[in-house]
Amino acid sequence: MNSKIKTNKVLLTTLPGPLDSGRLIITKFTILITIIAAILIVSSCDNNSADPIVSSGKLKLEFLHNIDGQPIIYDSLMYFNEAGNHYLVSEIQYFISDVTLHQSDGTTLLLDSWEDIHYVDTDIDETKTYYLKDDIASGDFSRISFTFGINEEKNNSLMFVNPPKSFMFWPENLGGGYHYLKLNGKWINELEQVSPYNFHLGIGQIYYSYPDSITGFVQNYFTVEMPELLFDIKENETTTLQIVMNVDSWFSSPHTYDHNQWGGDIMQKQDAMAQAVENGHNVFSYNTK
Amino acid sequence: MRTNIIIIVSLFALLTGGCEDKPVPVPFEPTPYEIDIPFGFPTNLNIPDDNPMTVEGIQLGRYLFYDGRLSGRTEPDSLMSCATCHRQERSFEAGVDHPDFPGGFPHGLTGLQTHHVMLPMINLVWNSTGYGWSGFLYPDNPVEELRNIEDFVRLTVLAKDEIDGDTATVKNLFQTIDGYPQLFEKAFGSSTVTFRNIERAIAQFVRTLISSNSKFDKYMRGEVQLSQSELNGYVLFTTEEGADCFHCHGGFGNPLFTTHLFYNNGKDTEFTDPMDRFSISGDPMDHGAYKATTLRNIEVQGPYMHDGRFATLEEVIDFYSHELQVSPYINPLMHHINNGGIQLIPTEREDLLNFIKTLRDDEFLTNENFSSPDSFPDEK
Repeated sequence: MNSKIKTNKVLLTTLPGPLDSGRLIITKFTILITIIAAILIVSSCDNNSADPIVSSGKLKLEFLHNIDGQPIIYDSLMYFNEAGNHYLVSEIQYFISDVTLHQSDGTTLLLDSWEDIHYVDTDIDETKTYYLKDDIASGDFSRISFTFGINEEKNNSLMFVNPPKSFMFWPENLGGGYHYLKLNGKWINELEQVSPYNFHLGIGQIYYSYPDSITGFVQNYFTVEMPELLFDIKENETTTLQIVMNVDSWFSSPHTYDHNQWGGDIMQKQDAMAQAVENGHNVFSYNTK
Repeated sequence: MRTNIIIIVSLFALLTGGCEDKPVPVPFEPTPYEIDIPFGFPTNLNIPDDNPMTVEGIQLGRYLFYDGRLSGRTEPDSLMSCATCHRQERSFEAGVDHPDFPGGFPHGLTGLQTHHVMLPMINLVWNSTGYGWSGFLYPDNPVEELRNIEDFVRLTVLAKDEIDGDTATVKNLFQTIDGYPQLFEKAFGSSTVTFRNIERAIAQFVRTLISSNSKFDKYMRGEVQLSQSELNGYVLFTTEEGADCFHCHGGFGNPLFTTHLFYNNGKDTEFTDPMDRFSISGDPMDHGAYKATTLRNIEVQGPYMHDGRFATLEEVIDFYSHELQVSPYINPLMHHINNGGIQLIPTEREDLLNFIKTLRDDEFLTNENFSSPDSFPDEK
């Protein structure tokens, strides 16, 4: 390092100059450069000793959507749920947020804590991949968790003004913010009619007299605690996890959800949404890629 | 000292070299035009990179939009412009009271009726999913000539059921009209009229047609209160147990009052239209699907639906209330389908109608910046 400074000195002081005043300026300049260089070197040494360079990598999530363990064939009336409903799926749109990595010693790492609330839309391929922006320190992890939907603090109306996220808005009079989930499809109802269902989750309502007088709201977002899965983040590499939404699970465990009981719409039926929330804890599985 | 004199002389020569009588090119620097994003509106705009908006381009576009010589003809009975059909007072639709198109069914110069009725020409700068009832013009269309409003201008000039003209005749005509070449020069840097620049100018003007100051906008901004009936209608509009309009037609969180997406909304049981959404997407579930129109200014528009089957808003509400048709292609958002509709009682029908009328923007409908110019360039 010192030799570098000396070299600079030599270079500068031996520059040809027609005037004595020029030499004086160069000499002063040399001193200034030397001081700055020394400060820089010393300060960089300090940083190295205080904050050793930590290797880091990235995380990517890929979203898949299955029924009975197979990729969904959309708009195809070929599925049966736990309640025996014969049904099809047309489209799925949802938000996940607050992705958190867990290590075996109990340490947790919350990623992209505010900026990224990720939108997934089965009709828009690019939404099915989520590149988390944070650099993640290299290491071994034992599982992940995330919020399905958007938590109360973040779920503010008009925070998404651009489509398609803005199309997820949840009406102000029903609690505002955004749908956590739109799962749209059709089933064969008790009258043997093909009937649309809109399995939508968001802020629920408590009614004094249904459906007109609302006395309170219910935050239906929930944390999905994924089971153990060992994976690591490697230096300068991107680790990919495949998150699978098993759509049939929305209608099975612990509650057998029956479209014939709840009908085609549930945004104003908190009891139905409560069942969906409890089932939602068991909807996702994942694996490394 | 001698060196200094040489330097001074050289510099003087360099500085004064520009004083010769050579023509000095005037740099082409049109005035950029920025769209003010209204409260709650999207910040992403559909403006092609090769057609940035400028004050000069918009001014030229306004003239062209209203100039009947866009037909490429000059005889009084052969004039046709965008404004022949797109009337400001009807939110740039024809309107059922159009003096030349009874019931709001437009036809071209040759008398051939258009395949579909018109869509409102407002807030189009926020449409990126496709223009037209089927969305056949969309930004990432592999066919480059079918992507945006610019292309719509060309198609309108060429269409047999509209202007039935040709682009060469049109550009040649405007080249000869006093004042226009100068306006093209100001807007695009060349006084040579090209049809591409005609497209660009009209598209720039159309992108300025922004409606965002209805009573409902003022309500959103906290400036006015809605009446009880309007509020009741708003609740109906935004609830699944009510009329459930909002999933397709927006609301507080989507003030465009459309998703610009395509739905089979239960009008028919048989689908033979070769220009429905299926014709573009190839998805069998898109049979009989069409763009959800914006409900802004819907009160002054009409006729309604792609084929103009309803003349009044009351008829439209009655359709959604009791007259839905079941088919395999019905969009799943139409969850009231098996009841025939949303089953509104008369007071609810009135409330819903009153709410929808709060989306009328009188300031937009009379905005002089959007109206026909007092005179055309050759009349000044």
